[in-house]
Amino acid sequence: MFPLRARGLRVAASLSRQHLPSARLSGDGAAPGCPHFDVVVVGGGHAGTEAAAAAARCGSRTLLLTHRADTIGQMSCNPSFGGIGKGHLMREVDALDGLCSRICDQSGVHYKVLNRRKGPAVWGLRAQIDRKLYKQNMQREILSTPLLTVQEGAVEDLILTEPEPGHAGKCRVRGVVLVDGSTVHAESVVLTTGTFLRGLVVIGLEMHPAGRLGDQPSVGLAQTLEKLGFVVGRLKTGTPPRLARDSIDFSVLKAQTPDDPSVPFSFLSETVWIKPEDQLPCHLTHTNPRVDAIILENLHLNSHVRETTKGPRYCPSIESKVLRFPNRMHQVWLEPEGLDSDLVYPQGLSVTLPAELQEKMITCIRGLEKARVVQPGYGVQYDYLDPRQITPSLETRLVQRLFFAGQINGTTGYEEAAAQGVIAGVNASLRVRCRPPFIVSRTEGYIGVLIDDLTTHGTSEPYRMFTSRAEFRLSLRPDNADSRLTFRGYKDAGCVSQQRYDRAAWMKTSLEEGLSALESIEFSSTKWKKLVPQASISTSRSDPVRALDVLKYEEVDMELLAQAVPDPLAKYTECRELAERLKIEASYESVLLHQQEEIKEVQRDEALQLPEDLDYMSVTDVSLSHEVREKLHFSRPQTIGAASRIPGVTPAAIVNLLKFVKATQQRQAVTNGPPRTAPHSHDASKRQEL
Amino acid sequence: MWRKLQILAACRPRSLCTAPGATIFALSSGRGRCGVAVIRTSGPASHQALRSLTAPRALPRARRASLRLLCDPRSGAPLDRALVLWFPGPQSFTGEDCAEFHVHGGPAVVSGVLQALSSVPGLRPAQAGEFTRRAFAHGKLSLPEVEGLADLIHAETEAQRRQALRQLEGELGQLSHSWAETLTKALAHVEAYIDFAEDDNLEEGVLEQADQEVQALEVALGAHLQDARRGQRLRSGVHVVVTGPPNAGKSSLVNLLSQKPVSIVSSEPGTTRDVLETPVDLAGFPVLLSDTAGLREGVGAVEQEGVRRARERLEQADLVLAVLDASDLAAPTSREFLDTVMAPLVSQDPRGSSQRLLLVLNKCDLLPAEGPHPQPWSHPHLLLSCLTREGLDGLLGALRKELAVVCGDPSTGPPLLTRARHRHHLQCCLDALGHYKQAGDLALAAEALRIARRHLTQLTGGGGSEEILDVIFRDFCVGK
Repeated sequence: MFPLRARGLRVAASLSRQHLPSARLSGDGAAPGCPHFDVVVVGGGHAGTEAAAAAARCGSRTLLLTHRADTIGQMSCNPSFGGIGKGHLMREVDALDGLCSRICDQSGVHYKVLNRRKGPAVWGLRAQIDRKLYKQNMQREILSTPLLTVQEGAVEDLILTEPEPGHAGKCRVRGVVLVDGSTVHAESVVLTTGTFLRGLVVIGLEMHPAGRLGDQPSVGLAQTLEKLGFVVGRLKTGTPPRLARDSIDFSVLKAQTPDDPSVPFSFLSETVWIKPEDQLPCHLTHTNPRVDAIILENLHLNSHVRETTKGPRYCPSIESKVLRFPNRMHQVWLEPEGLDSDLVYPQGLSVTLPAELQEKMITCIRGLEKARVVQPGYGVQYDYLDPRQITPSLETRLVQRLFFAGQINGTTGYEEAAAQGVIAGVNASLRVRCRPPFIVSRTEGYIGVLIDDLTTHGTSEPYRMFTSRAEFRLSLRPDNADSRLTFRGYKDAGCVSQQRYDRAAWMKTSLEEGLSALESIEFSSTKWKKLVPQASISTSRSDPVRALDVLKYEEVDMELLAQAVPDPLAKYTECRELAERLKIEASYESVLLHQQEEIKEVQRDEALQLPEDLDYMSVTDVSLSHEVREKLHFSRPQTIGAASRIPGVTPAAIVNLLKFVKATQQRQAVTNGPPRTAPHSHDASKRQEL
Repeated sequence: MWRKLQILAACRPRSLCTAPGATIFALSSGRGRCGVAVIRTSGPASHQALRSLTAPRALPRARRASLRLLCDPRSGAPLDRALVLWFPGPQSFTGEDCAEFHVHGGPAVVSGVLQALSSVPGLRPAQAGEFTRRAFAHGKLSLPEVEGLADLIHAETEAQRRQALRQLEGELGQLSHSWAETLTKALAHVEAYIDFAEDDNLEEGVLEQADQEVQALEVALGAHLQDARRGQRLRSGVHVVVTGPPNAGKSSLVNLLSQKPVSIVSSEPGTTRDVLETPVDLAGFPVLLSDTAGLREGVGAVEQEGVRRARERLEQADLVLAVLDASDLAAPTSREFLDTVMAPLVSQDPRGSSQRLLLVLNKCDLLPAEGPHPQPWSHPHLLLSCLTREGLDGLLGALRKELAVVCGDPSTGPPLLTRARHRHHLQCCLDALGHYKQAGDLALAAEALRIARRHLTQLTGGGGSEEILDVIFRDFCVGK
């Protein structure tokens, strides 16, 4: 119906002229009846763009529906991407050929790896991003993606029909209804509505409905979802005021300089687009008792802080920091918003005081004495849907072929949203093609940890990723995201390009070769001491020492080792990334071996699938306590592994559930031939061989 | 442990690394008075276990019983002359490599073999139901078998839970909890330092403080492990708890069963105020008989404490002997006992608890010779007179049946097993704390603490990552 590729390009051309009438984007009025797509993605934020691009990469004809096409790729809050845990997610999104890491490598203004001294498992890739560049680059990417069309429009309702047999769910989504009454038909729908579901912006005592300052909220859609029986909760978040750059006295503040050389986010980027010397610094300042006083004196003017709606404990407003930890100096990072931007983002000063008091508070702070507030900070309250109502493929249990990603699931953060976006987009596409879902286990990636936590435990505050949430942290590192996910993304999901696959395959082979070379080279410790005098090798050991063990010493790297044993090690130093990854594998070798065993125990439980349609409240031939039944009923674990992670589900209950697994296996054996094994076990065992 | 793992890695052929999971062991025979106890292992290191304990002999032929001398691999001290069997997977109960040790059933021998196994690298005590789950995962169980076993596992879990309660109510329990708390806090602070320190201002000295706490914990655990060998009295046997309203004759029954005056008996209600324990041999089974205070409300502080202890003990019982005064079933204390204590016990799903119950109506000599027998409850009951000993044979017969059921459970040999578990986890915790200091980077150090904490929380429960985040957000102002 649409000349898709050409259409995308035309929209790109229009967008570059900044303002464009929405009529140019939607429908063209040419189509009689209504348009039909494989996948419709609602929302153009970080979840929506990734979802739409992923579905299109998988080969589905995809439509991205957004309120305003010029806000696609907008960074609504902080002007930065990545960090500890979040950087891990970005590497995984990239390993699945997602967009945000590559776009960040083209749009950053200050690249810095956090936690450098704390070990490669917890390195946090992070960058300050130029908002304007990011949006431009993202829009160019979206609009040039084959099979992907963009249309402006606000979704008001869903088109629903009878459920398809053989799947859980009380109805099936067939498309969406827009505010203007027009319809778009779709085989799968992904909702990434961000803070727009009954969004409410709060400044001081003023509140007005908005998804983001200046944008309309989605009320009709929220009502539709509630009517369908989704359990809805309410969360809040906030954003700091924006300051005029020329009104800040940076000379009295401590500057933070970027890394040299910059470390790119993407496995495909050799380097980033900007030289270290051209990058912008960040500055650090602190609050003081005068800030505390202004906040405490004006709490009665601050409705957002008094509300009982849950805000994040880890991204607290300055008000809650002052209330919970009084008499402290709190850090404020002054972050540039872009190369040619006049704005500065005071990270740490998220505030919802009335606008005039915000300015009064800010001018108490060192360096900000004359600062002008260009846009006041504000709070947002919005609806989210209890994520225990979705499966690990992010499809809802109530409505077939309806997927949720991003803040609608109770998460916070660009990276968390992007990670869910990729998974939702891939699965929306797989569902259309009747292929098994693509599920990342928590043993395989932070993406798996994120989704497993949400779908089994739910969340009562905006969920953010931390490395402490990952039990297999030493295995799920930023450096090896490609060997964990790219092959599965290529084979099981179809969302990975040939180029990326080839590169990951080359890296995997080189790593395996390199490690077996390092294992096979053995000398006495005395000889090693002579070869690598820099290393503190103890010569008291009488047994031969492997090169791999020498590489474990902090002061030894591949360069040094290759100088000592050029043949065959020299060739493994030609690629800097390869050399670095060999060093990391060596330092964690013994612990990883231990962790692999635990991973296998978890994966074995995850291979045991529970029936989708089991009614835990009414099954009679099994002894489960009422409490356990309720928990299982609400979380609907898909595997024994997931069930065992629900608090309060006892080992005895787990064994009781095994008989249902058996029933599923027998049913599958009848309908599909041999029972399905865990999709990840294959690659996991390959990784083990590394 | 890492050191051990390195050794393990070095001596294991590569192909075995793909065999899944750790190797588990458990006592799999009952704990009645038996001549032979069977200890099983399952997992890739089973052959390692077999060889370590039977060194220097080679593996026995597959599926053939062989007589071997078992020795402790650390000290070389002989443990027992035993039958050993080697079942290479997949032709075994679980489908994995399995080994069986048929040892002489004395507690010292069993305990010695369990501790020896726990010292073999790669072996750990099995959790409730773990053998079954592995067998299931390898397709070794049919659907009816799974259904049958689920109930068994439930009983096993319940028995282990009660056993853990017994162990944890004492000093060791309090110690374990305080250790776990210290460790959780130390780990939370290290995790906070990893997840937040870079651009948040954590207070100075967070890591140093964690280091100190870990060091103190190491000393405490080390001292405890040194000491525990002599310390803990082993309270083995089936726990039979006598309960009932005041003045029903509980103490008389205890004295009757133990054939010695354990408890003071008087006609005054509330004579027994503390829990009195006595080990007895009942119908050939080792039993720990507990006399408890009569359950009633609204009496003096001392008696109330007695009542609280009685209820606590009731929770831990394998077999409850409920005693009522047959001649006074209408009394408020009797009614209250039936409603508040008996009702919950009886109404439990019969498969929901493995706690057994016998209802005894004492003082039947006071009943009129003719006329209907009292029927206080739908639960079957026994009539007894501690005074005339009428009904004693019937009671002993019923006890024999119940004890046979309790002791017949495989793998509920808890006292030994629980103690082995305790030592195993405390030792592993201590080993991991040692690695914390040596760790090359902070992520590795945190991993050591995580392993240490996981071992402690195996004893105390809890241990999720959400607990860590709770401590972080309680102690630090982090995030932006």
